[in-house]
Amino acid sequence: MPRAVPTITSTAVMSIAPVEQESVSTEELADVDVPWITLVWNDPVNLMSYVTFVFQTYFGYSKAKAERLMMDVHVKGRAVVSTGARERMETDTEALQGYGLWATFQKDS
Amino acid sequence: MARGFKRRDGRFVAKLDAVERGLVVGLMEQVLELVEPEPTAGNELDDDATDGDEFDRIVAGLGGIGMGVSLSAADQAPELSGSVPQPRDPALERIFPTANRQDDQVAAEFRRLTEDGLRARKAANLTTAITALSALEDQKISLEQPQALALLIALTDVRLVLGERLGLKQDDDFDRLEEQVSGLEDDDPAVYALAVYDFLTWLQETLAHALAP
Repeated sequence: MPRAVPTITSTAVMSIAPVEQESVSTEELADVDVPWITLVWNDPVNLMSYVTFVFQTYFGYSKAKAERLMMDVHVKGRAVVSTGARERMETDTEALQGYGLWATFQKDS
Repeated sequence: MARGFKRRDGRFVAKLDAVERGLVVGLMEQVLELVEPEPTAGNELDDDATDGDEFDRIVAGLGGIGMGVSLSAADQAPELSGSVPQPRDPALERIFPTANRQDDQVAAEFRRLTEDGLRARKAANLTTAITALSALEDQKISLEQPQALALLIALTDVRLVLGERLGLKQDDDFDRLEEQVSGLEDDDPAVYALAVYDFLTWLQETLAHALAP
């Protein structure tokens, strides 16, 4: 089930806000516009080849990107595998858990 | 002698003898019971653990050395059986992990909304894989892509549960366990359980490579 990589649009909106209004609007915008992330955590069972396969198959990522994310999971213990709206991250987390990966989602902070 | 998966003319072929197929199917059936949307009661699990499944019998002796590796939840904590309510099986916690580590409420809501669907999908997937491996007459396995994908994911679920039963928490735990049992006889249940896990790892590795886009 390949699909397009999610994109973040909120940063562009915030960058055109007049400087003097920033301190007022940032906090209000934060709750709505701070993107959410999907994380995959390292575990001792899932194979490197399988994790790469899932990133390629589900997200449609290139082999290079899938392998880089897989190595991040393996070496650093976790990796951000997608970014976007909360609903989208919940969908990604559910799908990745369906594949048996240790996936979680949270607000990007 | 088993031969791992290869892609040939758009199909995924391997060779597993009847014992090897029976082993993989038996484990997938145990995991199917674990993840099915309507969990079976504890006493039914007890019945299943004693109904003559070879793997259950062999691993039953593992309790003595502190590593319960039967996939049956009822075998994991015998002291908790009876009237004491059992905590959630840790293998289920691994298959359906807490999805938000910052907010318990968000995590609970996610579980409420997704677990039934995930259970149903995993059960359907395991059933597809079990059917694909059960229908064979000889050693040759030849799967179409959807069946191969179902088996790949089913092997993940089986290894997750078996890994949990073996107590694998860190990347080097499997090697550490292998070292620990290196002095034991080949027919020791712990040696057997690790050999089974190793076999499943090898089989899944060949299938993941064969399926790679």
